[in-house]
Amino acid sequence: MSGMTCDSVRAAALDPDIHPRDWMQRPEVAAHLSGCENCRDWLEAFGALEHLWAAEPAAAFADSVLARTCGVDALLAELPSLAEIDPGPGFAERVLLATSQRPAAAGWLVRWAGAWRAVVRRPRFAWEAAYVATVCWVLVFGNPVGAWEWSASRIGAVARERLGGPVKEFRADLESWRAQWAPGPAVAPGAAPQQADAVPLALRAWQAGAAQIQRGTAYVFDALKHAWTSIGEWVAWLVQQIWPPPAEPQASPVRSTQ
Amino acid sequence: MESNDLSTLIDGCRAGDAPAWEAFVRRFQGRMFALAYSYVGDREDARDLAQEIFVRLYEARAQWLTGDEFLPWLFRVARNRSVDFLRRRKVRTPPATVDEAAIAELADPAPSAEARALDSDRRGLLHAALRGLSAINREIVVLRDVHGLSIQQVASILGIPLGTVKSRASRARVELAERVLALARGRGGG
Repeated sequence: MSGMTCDSVRAAALDPDIHPRDWMQRPEVAAHLSGCENCRDWLEAFGALEHLWAAEPAAAFADSVLARTCGVDALLAELPSLAEIDPGPGFAERVLLATSQRPAAAGWLVRWAGAWRAVVRRPRFAWEAAYVATVCWVLVFGNPVGAWEWSASRIGAVARERLGGPVKEFRADLESWRAQWAPGPAVAPGAAPQQADAVPLALRAWQAGAAQIQRGTAYVFDALKHAWTSIGEWVAWLVQQIWPPPAEPQASPVRSTQ
Repeated sequence: MESNDLSTLIDGCRAGDAPAWEAFVRRFQGRMFALAYSYVGDREDARDLAQEIFVRLYEARAQWLTGDEFLPWLFRVARNRSVDFLRRRKVRTPPATVDEAAIAELADPAPSAEARALDSDRRGLLHAALRGLSAINREIVVLRDVHGLSIQQVASILGIPLGTVKSRASRARVELAERVLALARGRGGG
């Protein structure tokens, strides 16, 4: 290493009477820099200032401390003093007051719910939800009109297939029930009124109606179940079309040993 | 010793200890206010922002990191709140292409006594020059040179590659020196 110390090298570099280009070409400076990493780092910042230094006549800011130290070093020494600034009286009390009534941090579920609530409350959420729903619908069903047609015709067929018989039966029962309630031939004078049969008849009608409702409900459940199964099969078929299962590895041909 | 004190303070805050929280606020109010001021450049806004940062820290006190990870985490939280604050208030920092005369005008003594005191010395000059930097360069200088974080920590906080921080840090210092010189000359101090 040359006889120059870091301080003397830097002092020479910061001398406003020496142009940086001349300074860097001095052999003792170059020798020192080749062995001193700190000065090389310092030079990196300093060298970048060369154009600034060269652009200004040294005499114009010879009185400025910043200029005489070429800026960077003085700035770097000054910058840590900006790390703390007094926010003024009462700031800590203001913060403590603002935090005194606040609950502790909520769990992830509450935070997630809060975030979701904030998303939902945005005015444009309805548009976004409608857009996403439309995209999903089109992706699943291909196009909206076809999906409506398909589902309507499918549900209608299922209804006809499942509910046709019971409806006919129910109508027949209804007709017979009406016939029982229809006014009969006029009662002959003096004959005993058939009031005693009216109560069991109403009871039978009630039981028949209840049984029909029960059967109808069961048929509706069956129809829905069938429709659900059909939808499941269709979705499975769709999935199979999109992601076909891997082909079975073919068995290697058996070679004849003969 | 100081790190032990800080660890004790952090543990106390995590446990919900009110005196520990008060001590923490009093200890870090200057740093948080300085960081907020570097983002918004206005004392009142900086007070609001610093308070928001403390409120956020208080709400998340159960998740505070400990040890050497605490300070970088603290600055990350503060930085995120600052960015949110700027976005909400639609405060725009002066663009990098603003002319020096406009920066000199910004840095002139403000009507309020506080601002006048702040801007009347070299620290005021530095603040004005910092506000003139591009956003990314200002953040690098503030985190690296003002608050003394390592290059790795700055890269982690800003979410940019290490090499970018290294190359930008040097250029940011030069840019800052240029701004200071320009402002000093604009004030007639040079």
